[in-house]
Amino acid sequence: MNIQDNYLKNRKNIFFSQNKDIQNHREKLINNFVNDRFDRKNNESLKNINLKNFIDFKYKYLISEETSVINNNQENSYSIVSVNGQCSNFKDDKIEITKILDEDYNDFSENNTIEKNDHFVNLNSLFLNSGFKIIIKNNNNIKIKISNIVTDDDLTIFQKNNIICQEGSSLNLIEEYENKNNSTSNILNVIKLEKNSQLNHFLIQDNSSNHNLIITSHSSCKKDSTYTQKVYNFSEGYVRNFHYSELIETNSEADLQGIFFLKDNNTSNNKTFVKHLAEDCKSNQVYKGILNDRSKATYFSNTHVDQVAQKTEGYQLSKGILLSDNASYFSKPELKIYADDVKCSHGSTIGPIDENAIFYLRSRGMSKIAATKILISSFINEELSSIDNQQMSEIIQKKLIRYLSKVK
Amino acid sequence: MNSETLNTLDTYSKNKYKYGFVTDIDNEKPKKGLSEDTIKFISLKKNEPVWMLEWRLKAFSKWKKMKEPKWANLNFPEIDYQDIYYYSAPKGFEKKPKDLSEVDPKLIETYNKLGIPLEEQKVLAGVAVDVVFDSVSVATTYKGELEKLGIIFCSIGEAIQKHPDLIKKYLGSVIPPGDHSYSALNSAVFTDGSFVYIPEGVKCPMELSTYFRINAENTGQFERTLIIADKGSYVSYLEGCTAPKRDDNQLHAANVELIALEDAEIKYSTVQNWYPGDEEGKGGIYNFVTKRGLCAGKNSKISWTQVETGSAITWKYPSCILKGDNSIGEFYSVAITNNFQQADTGTKMTHIGKNTKSKIISKGISLGKSQNTYRGEVSFLRKADKARNYTQCDSLLVGNQCGAHTVPYIDSKNNTAVIEHEASTSKINEDQLYYCRQRGLSHEEAVSLIVNGFCKQVLQELPMEFAVEAQKLVSISLEGSVG
Repeated sequence: MNIQDNYLKNRKNIFFSQNKDIQNHREKLINNFVNDRFDRKNNESLKNINLKNFIDFKYKYLISEETSVINNNQENSYSIVSVNGQCSNFKDDKIEITKILDEDYNDFSENNTIEKNDHFVNLNSLFLNSGFKIIIKNNNNIKIKISNIVTDDDLTIFQKNNIICQEGSSLNLIEEYENKNNSTSNILNVIKLEKNSQLNHFLIQDNSSNHNLIITSHSSCKKDSTYTQKVYNFSEGYVRNFHYSELIETNSEADLQGIFFLKDNNTSNNKTFVKHLAEDCKSNQVYKGILNDRSKATYFSNTHVDQVAQKTEGYQLSKGILLSDNASYFSKPELKIYADDVKCSHGSTIGPIDENAIFYLRSRGMSKIAATKILISSFINEELSSIDNQQMSEIIQKKLIRYLSKVK
Repeated sequence: MNSETLNTLDTYSKNKYKYGFVTDIDNEKPKKGLSEDTIKFISLKKNEPVWMLEWRLKAFSKWKKMKEPKWANLNFPEIDYQDIYYYSAPKGFEKKPKDLSEVDPKLIETYNKLGIPLEEQKVLAGVAVDVVFDSVSVATTYKGELEKLGIIFCSIGEAIQKHPDLIKKYLGSVIPPGDHSYSALNSAVFTDGSFVYIPEGVKCPMELSTYFRINAENTGQFERTLIIADKGSYVSYLEGCTAPKRDDNQLHAANVELIALEDAEIKYSTVQNWYPGDEEGKGGIYNFVTKRGLCAGKNSKISWTQVETGSAITWKYPSCILKGDNSIGEFYSVAITNNFQQADTGTKMTHIGKNTKSKIISKGISLGKSQNTYRGEVSFLRKADKARNYTQCDSLLVGNQCGAHTVPYIDSKNNTAVIEHEASTSKINEDQLYYCRQRGLSHEEAVSLIVNGFCKQVLQELPMEFAVEAQKLVSISLEGSVG
């Protein structure tokens, strides 16, 4: 079924479909899709994607009967189980979690990301059927773990979450995506960091090969705030990680990191985009990929420095290891700089594992496979050892060992 | 900085755009605009065989269906292809002069002003110069000596007459006319350019050189250059461009094809200082150039070196197709933009053969209100085992109204190939500036010195004759916008 038919048939179940303005906006989006037809030739962000899954899909959505729970098992620590993109309301003096309400349409209906022509974000705006809002109140230090669960096969989830860190707050957010069913999740996180706030955002992605995950985030940082994102993609199914960050006030910082482990026929598309709009801001973008078998990956990174953003420091690094002759990696690290007093750099490498290093290890009696595995682990060791959360670090180590066991 | 450089700076600062003079010679032009008639006119004027005309017309029919490529980070009004003269030749050139004494003295004077006195160069520099004045090749020097070695160095028009086999075989083999709209346009209306053939095993003993110069107003210059280096041969080719000052924008869409067979090496150097427009961004050349080299044979090598200081708009990506095993591609570039200039330049290295290597060094300097973009693609195809690439692109920003952008595309489909890319963007190092100032250099001199040092890695790749000129050009380009 095409996008238009899906929309017309299921309009009732989609958020805000009563609102006239939003209806008009959505009709415009549909027209765009009809005209554009996901023109792959002029849109490199669609490289390697099996578009059939996203153009001709069957819209299906269920609100789960099991109520999604929020546990306050420890001081300042919360667990959220989000089922099919929904979760239950919760409120105490530190945080507030709410479902999407019809009066929130201003927060949820607009595409407030940097990229206005992103097809997948537009699909999300069009079919929005789930999501929630988290507010961390002033000066609180909070830990939250969100498990994102999809209950049934063939679901199409279009979820939008708003996360707001109020002044002086600090949030450690761990999100897990571990689904084994044949569904598609299209998730957009819009994150706002107020003055002097901090967010450490971990995303662990480990879906089965029939589950598609499209995740987009947009963070905006005010004065003295810091946003750190770490993405670990172990999924066997398609994953798209597009993360945008805007530094809108002075002395803010964005750090976007990602590691992906691909095998078999899997593909992954990654993008990071940092826009410096104020003075004295820092950004860092690091993505590393390991590609085995016939896997394919793309990584686009972009640092945009506005004319007013003097004293900017912006760094990018992209590294890829190809383990098999059928794997391919495409990287496009872009710098767009309009201010002169900046320090910006990027580096990008793609290649096999260093033969000299393998030779060194083999000459000390190690088998070739063992040597390869050690070198893969050391390739990402810098990122793994920087995780200060013990529990997280163990989870990732386990998944890494599982991946390495398939390397031959 | 030595006193010589200072003197040069001084002279140039008084002169503004030194090459902005117009030589008053009657031109013979067809009607304005692009149509089959224009192409037939050009073909007839150049006395071309029928197959050439057909080739042109075929390219024209392709062009009609094509749109201009839009990827570049450039802003300019749409080009009206019907408002351009496609052919301009100084009158009385149907019969070519046999030697320099027959050439119009005014022309000779023009070149003297440009600093390439033919007579003197002939004796002193030992450079064979094929001068293109607008569209017709004026004089070709040193032809006899080259002929002894079997080297063919002539205008492309002459080559079409005398060496049709080579032209038929190689013209359009690296840049197919249908590649993109500018290459199709060039294929349809190209008027002149150089043709070089180096036979098997011959090392060309001198540097071959062409000076292109756009003279007549509203004339698009469409030159076509074809260089073929046969097995085991070597050639170094220099190309320099200068255009007089005009208020209207002029179009320049050249195609350059290089073919290196087994063990052959081609070195291609360009210094481009077409008129960049004035301080308000009025006028200047639109420079849309397609340059592509094919390393067809094993162990072949193609090296591009460019110094781009001119043109209102530069759209140029000299690239290498590394088809032969062990072949090498190199790209060294300095691009300086000032005032309202826009440059989108870079390279494309396509690794097809085994053990192919490429190296890219690009230095971009932006001043005033200009925009400078490096855009490069490195791709390793599936069979490119053990291929290797190293890319370095650095940008320097002077002033806070300009932009420097880096857009690399990196694509690897081979797991034994290694690719490395690094880039940095910064302003001039305060410590270095302080050091120079402390030793008595003025701010402007200090900046010029540092910028020259920044470009050194590329400038040293240029042949002697060009290196001096290029260094001066770098200094001139900085003039007036620092401090």
